[in-house]
Amino acid sequence: MKTSAVFSAVLSFVTLASTSSAASSSRTDLPSTFTPPQVFKNANLVHVISLEKNYVKENINVVIENIDKAPQQDYFLPFTADQISRLGGVEVKDRKDASAGPFGAEVVGVDPKSDLQYLRIRLPTPLKPSAQQTIGITFYFLKAYNPLPASIKQEDTQFLSYSFSAYCPSVYTTSKQKTEVKFPSATVPDFTKLPGSGEVKEFPQKQGSKLTYGPFDEKPAGALEPVQVRFEFNKPVTHVARLERDIEISHWGGNVAFEERYTMFHRGANLSSLFNRVKWAQSQYYQPATHALKEIKFPLRIGSADPYYTDVIGNVSTSRFRSNKREALLEIKPRYPLFGGWKYPFTIGWNSDAKNFLRTLSGNAYILNVPFLEGPKQPEGVEYEQVEVRVILPEGAENVKYSTTVPVSSITDADVVIHKTFLDTIGRTALVIKARNLVDDFRERELVVSYEVPLLASLRKPLIIFGSAVALFVATYILGSLDFRFSSK
Amino acid sequence: MSVDSLQTLANVGKGESTRTTLRVVILFLIAGAAIASRLFSVIRFESIIHEFDPWFNFRATKYLVANGFYNFWDWFDDRTWHPLGRVTGGTLYPGLMVTSGIIYHALRTLTIPVDIRNICVLLAPAFSGLTAFAAYLLTNEMTPSSSAGLLAAVFMGIAPGYISRSVAGSYDNEAIAIFLLVFTFYLWIKALKQGSMLWGALCALFYGYMVASWGGYAFITCLLPLHAFVLICMGRYSTRLYVAYTTWYALGTLASMQIPFVGFLPVKTSEHMPALGIFGFLQLLAFLDYVRSAIPKGQYQTFLWLFAGGTFGIGLAALVVATSAGIIAPWGGRFYSLWDTSYAKIHIPIIASVSEHQPTAWPAFFFDLNMLIWLLPAGVYLCFQQLADEHVFIVVYALFGSYFAGVMVRLMLTLTPVVCVAAAIAISNVLDTYLSAKSPKPEDRLSDEATDAAVKKAPKGGLKSTSKPFVGVYSIFSKGAVVGAMTIYLLLFVLHCTWVTSNAYSSPSVVLASRLADGSQHIIDDYREAYQWLRQNTRDDAKIMSWWDYGYQIGGMADRPTLVDNNTWNNTHIATVGKAMSSREEVSYPIMRQHEVDYVLVVFGGLLGYSGDDINKFLWMVRIAEGIWPEEVSERAFFTPRGEYRVDDEASDTMKNSLMYKMSYYNYNTLFPPGQAQDRVRGTRLPEVGPTLDVLDEAFTSENWIIRIYKVKDLDNVGRDHASASAFDRGIKKKKATKKRGPRVLRVD
Repeated sequence: MKTSAVFSAVLSFVTLASTSSAASSSRTDLPSTFTPPQVFKNANLVHVISLEKNYVKENINVVIENIDKAPQQDYFLPFTADQISRLGGVEVKDRKDASAGPFGAEVVGVDPKSDLQYLRIRLPTPLKPSAQQTIGITFYFLKAYNPLPASIKQEDTQFLSYSFSAYCPSVYTTSKQKTEVKFPSATVPDFTKLPGSGEVKEFPQKQGSKLTYGPFDEKPAGALEPVQVRFEFNKPVTHVARLERDIEISHWGGNVAFEERYTMFHRGANLSSLFNRVKWAQSQYYQPATHALKEIKFPLRIGSADPYYTDVIGNVSTSRFRSNKREALLEIKPRYPLFGGWKYPFTIGWNSDAKNFLRTLSGNAYILNVPFLEGPKQPEGVEYEQVEVRVILPEGAENVKYSTTVPVSSITDADVVIHKTFLDTIGRTALVIKARNLVDDFRERELVVSYEVPLLASLRKPLIIFGSAVALFVATYILGSLDFRFSSK
Repeated sequence: MSVDSLQTLANVGKGESTRTTLRVVILFLIAGAAIASRLFSVIRFESIIHEFDPWFNFRATKYLVANGFYNFWDWFDDRTWHPLGRVTGGTLYPGLMVTSGIIYHALRTLTIPVDIRNICVLLAPAFSGLTAFAAYLLTNEMTPSSSAGLLAAVFMGIAPGYISRSVAGSYDNEAIAIFLLVFTFYLWIKALKQGSMLWGALCALFYGYMVASWGGYAFITCLLPLHAFVLICMGRYSTRLYVAYTTWYALGTLASMQIPFVGFLPVKTSEHMPALGIFGFLQLLAFLDYVRSAIPKGQYQTFLWLFAGGTFGIGLAALVVATSAGIIAPWGGRFYSLWDTSYAKIHIPIIASVSEHQPTAWPAFFFDLNMLIWLLPAGVYLCFQQLADEHVFIVVYALFGSYFAGVMVRLMLTLTPVVCVAAAIAISNVLDTYLSAKSPKPEDRLSDEATDAAVKKAPKGGLKSTSKPFVGVYSIFSKGAVVGAMTIYLLLFVLHCTWVTSNAYSSPSVVLASRLADGSQHIIDDYREAYQWLRQNTRDDAKIMSWWDYGYQIGGMADRPTLVDNNTWNNTHIATVGKAMSSREEVSYPIMRQHEVDYVLVVFGGLLGYSGDDINKFLWMVRIAEGIWPEEVSERAFFTPRGEYRVDDEASDTMKNSLMYKMSYYNYNTLFPPGQAQDRVRGTRLPEVGPTLDVLDEAFTSENWIIRIYKVKDLDNVGRDHASASAFDRGIKKKKATKKRGPRVLRVD
């Protein structure tokens, strides 16, 4: 099972050249006169907006029907420019046929200045005229909420608001649709009410922590109905503006070293009056739910060892690491509780045995399988705006290929660079993958890297160190035996 | 033939190469021990910069590494001494930073990914290894016994007097300066003994490095002329002395003038005049020496007297005139306090407020030097016995060093090298005498003589009277007792050094350690908690006002501009901060506004019992402020009528209304049941009603309340003063001037 997975991963390898070209073409600009051809119809659409985490997960399940005469392959989904900048993790699947695999999806812009942008979904096989297909589109919006009120007291409950359209934005006519909104709790004090249709007098309908707008009857292309909801979210709105993740492989040491540098913000409601230690200390006795970020938990891979937790001014002593056969849990506390609008950058790192991640394929070919993300696992979720994963391979590694199960549309750039460290002469090969707008749902996704290290490359360093030491001794010997005096007696 | 081979066999252990190898190995082990004994804090805590001044050096080093040498040289720092700024590049000793920078770049060239912080933390231990080596070289110049050198190296390596300034993380100028001091002395002795220009030039080179590194270079500048002067007075003027001294002085002074901070001081200030004077004096002596060889003796005497008297008179007059005209600066305040220990307390409170400028307590000598301190006189006595030029140096250094170490605690550091050298000479002398296993016997004596003379076997039964009288230790018991006692002393010394280092000198003071009930270590990290909060959650140019002690730390860890810091160059500015802290809110607020202060940081130890807090330092703020504004701030007003310094109900009104008091205790009583608020440092119960703050908002308080940060309020939106605005917020009605109502008048339509 495992080997077959690896094998298929190897088969699906993209060489870097092709990925980078794909990455650069991931945003094609169409002529500004472009309008998506009206070739599809949304026969039935269910739009699920999940507000349970501190990012928005949207799921559009739609039955599309080709109303054109020719087979069609490109399905367009409209977004505003602002949404596009916060959009991430787009995955499209065939709801009926799970084995079809994810579809290609890419952002196409009409005009860089235009507010209207499109996501082009390319069906694996063109849809025949008047045929139907059920597709599921999942994507995430980061930085989606506004706290309302924008500043609250330390002990108050935090409420967030979110605006969206009750009709799913589409460039095609939608025959039937409904929008479901899921909340973290049943406390939803405010939401826009719409006149009902059919047997329902008024939208939305509330069931526990769920609101349902619809079902609506046929809506023309581009129909919107802006609504706003305000809901209780008494948890930190953790936002990682930038994550730099280094994975350093040492063949000699049999070790894989991880280091992650986070720039973390709390995007929730600010404090209306400044931080009060007395209230904070007193509230800590009975552990209430709070919108401040007190603790971050990193469930690492089993076998992780020697963790460290530092920030720019040194070690932070408030961390615990529990490591046994079943888990390797790193729990860290920021130096201060993180309230809305506050920032806390920090660094964590750990080591792991290379055999947990690295396999020899044949001779000098290796394959590495590491998690693409290993960030914190918090009940409220974590969102990542910029992610840079750097896989530092041994010196002289060549023929580097990678594949990842993170949505291709999230990967913005991949490159092989040279990283010099620890007495390197030619430097180590480093694979740098940049991604944007990811969330912690992707923390189990894999990154598979294959590379080759020729024997000579692995012997280079000992030989060079030996050679330079010998050269140094010889030079000292020769210099020592020379006579620099003006006259020797 | 057979005799030769036997001798070579016997000499295997004594061979020069074997001894050299052994010596090198031992020196490496000593360096290892010196480094290892300084790593307590790294092992216990982490690789962190300690205390206060090192944070500035660390920040400067980071600036140097990031911006290059020339930018560093011209560095104007607008993030300190707001709004004045500081010409940092021209007012620091760059040696330390440049050394770290060179090491950093060298390692980076070898692509060793080392963090500049780790270089800074480990620089002092690394240099202590070199210092041990320098002490070995210096001692070897004093005595032919190489064991003395090794002993001196060990002592230098682990003597607490030196460790106190060179533990890992103590990234201060002294970290490299002591090595340079000892090495410069070694080169001086070498130059003097050989009369060699090369060694003199090397000595000047290292002197220049020393000047670039530490203000204490004046110690060398005064000690070498003193040594030369003593030698001249002893009638030991020689061309060797002339060559060594003039080479050192000419090159060394030029080198020292390259440092912007020193500049023309070597020809302008009184501290440097002895060196110049001796330089001139040596020229005269050399001239006289020449004249004596050229003219008859009778005329020479007259010439000598006239010449010497005239020169001295002219020189003295020139000095007086130059000093009074202000060409030569008079002695600095710190220098005066070296002669009169109460000088600073009266005239310059800012110098007296630093604990390391206090006179040394007697136990400190034993604490820092242990048995070495009583071996010092023995070593000096042994030097007197031989009294070559180099021994005079040790004698002079010992006297000079002991005096200064007695005057100022931190100068214990300059005494330590000579104590180590002298003690090593003494101990090695004892051990060399008592450690020879053989008891002297008449026959041995003869054979000794025979081998000494390096002749073939002498015929037995030579004349006893022709041989030298022999003094020796005959009893194995006395040998054993003395050697045993010495061994025990040495072991105790090692124990003492380890204990002192571990307990007294290895605390970073940024991080405090405490023990939990179960015995596990708990780190109290309030400083960094608050500094990190400031760094991340305030504007990049938010000005922080705090007492000057914390200026360097705020600059280094919080990376925010400060008003005053540990570079106490502007007493008035410090006094301004002192005044803001010690005045009423209405007085302080305009001061803070004028200085664009955004946040005020105070250190409060009342909750934890941390005694180094601002309330305990408060009187120094008051005194320094009083020095500038005697009418507005009065120290007396902070005491109770009975002259006590109290913070409880009895405290004087001035005390209770001072900003510092209010900031320290604001909100503190809400942490306790009513009326139960305790100050664990002062050990008193606080007033039931806590102070109110009108012009400041509490912005952040660290976990254990050690650091409290206040935000300065902006001007009121509707133009009220802050006191009435906050009274309004508290719901206290402003008393209106009650209108006099007239008698009721019946309304008539």
